[in-house]
Amino acid sequence: MEPLMGMGVLALMGAAATIAGTTEDLESDVGSQSNPNSQVQLAPQMMYPHRIYNKAISGEPPSNALICAIGGTVASVLMTAGLSVIFAIAIGALIATAVHGTYCITAYMGRTASQKRFRQPIYLDILRSHTPVMMGYAFITTFCILVVSYIMVAVLAHPFPLTLLAFIWGITVGAIGSSTGDVHYGAEREFQNVEFGSGLNAANSGNIVRKAESGLRNGIDNSWFCAKFGGPVTGLAFGMTVFLSGWVTAVFNPALSLTMGWLSVAAGVILVLLMIIWNRKIEVAARKAFGPYKEEEEVAA
Amino acid sequence: MSAGGAGGEATGGIPQNQLIALGTLGGLAGVYGGHFLSVASPAFAFIGALGAICAIVWGSAAVRRVASYGLGTGVPSIGMIALGMGVVASMFGLAVGGIAGPIVAFIIASIIGLVVGVLANKVLGMGIPIMEQSMTEIAGAGTLTIIGLSVAMTGTFMFDAVLETVVATGYIAVIFIAGGMAILHPFNANLGPDEKQDRTLMTALEKGAIAMVIAGIVATVVDGASAVPSILIGVFIWYIAFSKYVKLVHRDAYKVLGTGLLPTEEELE
Repeated sequence: MEPLMGMGVLALMGAAATIAGTTEDLESDVGSQSNPNSQVQLAPQMMYPHRIYNKAISGEPPSNALICAIGGTVASVLMTAGLSVIFAIAIGALIATAVHGTYCITAYMGRTASQKRFRQPIYLDILRSHTPVMMGYAFITTFCILVVSYIMVAVLAHPFPLTLLAFIWGITVGAIGSSTGDVHYGAEREFQNVEFGSGLNAANSGNIVRKAESGLRNGIDNSWFCAKFGGPVTGLAFGMTVFLSGWVTAVFNPALSLTMGWLSVAAGVILVLLMIIWNRKIEVAARKAFGPYKEEEEVAA
Repeated sequence: MSAGGAGGEATGGIPQNQLIALGTLGGLAGVYGGHFLSVASPAFAFIGALGAICAIVWGSAAVRRVASYGLGTGVPSIGMIALGMGVVASMFGLAVGGIAGPIVAFIIASIIGLVVGVLANKVLGMGIPIMEQSMTEIAGAGTLTIIGLSVAMTGTFMFDAVLETVVATGYIAVIFIAGGMAILHPFNANLGPDEKQDRTLMTALEKGAIAMVIAGIVATVVDGASAVPSILIGVFIWYIAFSKYVKLVHRDAYKVLGTGLLPTEEELE
């Protein structure tokens, strides 16, 4: 393939991955999946009943692997049957989304029903308003992941079948969403009532913010907040992962010669080192700007 | 703070021995029934998925028992390890066993499960009394789930056909994750101190039906198995199980409100 063409394909994959990462994180924020979930689950037990969607479809990696694998399977079957690629991917994502909806509903209803002794009610309006939002986000995520996987199979001639690639990318996007974006919700949004940077004191366990700017806070309020930073940053992280991991072999194509192969490895190592240094600098700058949490100030106050 | 289960032995409901019988006998009957009847007509391939559903219900009951000891975030891991052991055992069993493949796979899975259980308790020191038995059960259930869904997709468990239609095409990935989630999600979705066995198992039935429908969709492009029975029966089972599940939620929940404010301070006292 022409190097310029290869770059264009990579850019398209990176763009699709960025959207997938963003929607994946926002989907998990609406339903309080993974990182923030433990506090949402704990809150009623600590006498803080809430109107936040409590959804745990295991972690994000398996749940995204599920929807992407189902989408990939259906798309692959439809393509084998002769349907056009766009239709196949769209219908695959649609069926995956429907399955995701049932997983969301059983997770919310089941977990809330199992908290009977803490008097946490099930709110059907939360179920009806939040589930379609999560299904919408899940559709976009699955669609974009299938686009990335299809490009890898059809254009880059990757030896793995579509379903397996979708499955692997599903795990990856879930893992990146879980580690990057959820911190923004779990550490900040849930504990806006305590001082920034104070960490989670054991006494505050379960004491999540339950009242919104107007009315009682719910999962959609949380995705509104996370869409400002947590979601896009997850998208960037995932987009960069897809783009840069392909970039090193697009520039230094290992198929051309062994030297090129080693150059691509070296380029990858240099990129990782640059990222580590860059991250360290951000961390140090943030510590300088915001400083450590000072215990004595609280005592003086 | 036992957000991850009651922290003790799971109680109530159907005794585990009956569920073991259901999973083992139902699972093997489904696998062999689907295999032999598919020779007569590909329409019978769906029986394999029914066997997988039996195994899924059994597996989720075993996950429920072992995870009730406060595993919490370990619930998803246990579901994944079930299918991980299952893939190894089923591929090995089908490759060497021929017509006895599923039984060989099941025995191998039980041995792997027992070893993993002993390692978890003796080496890692988890100290869960039923760990060895549960890991054996979970591995067996995972194996029968994989073989059952493979039969529903291909109409046979002969290794060459499974390798060509299920593994090489990548559909093994969807069996892995849809089967694994069907085993781990029921307890994870119903996690909490007021969890009930019938509600958890009803979720397993519902998620198993979804796996059956997906296997049916794959069968549309396979000659040895027909898709329509798997999809229709799967959707039917899903509908029944889901309606029943919602009824059980209404039975168990503190309150099911259309909308409303939070419970008052007095109500919480």
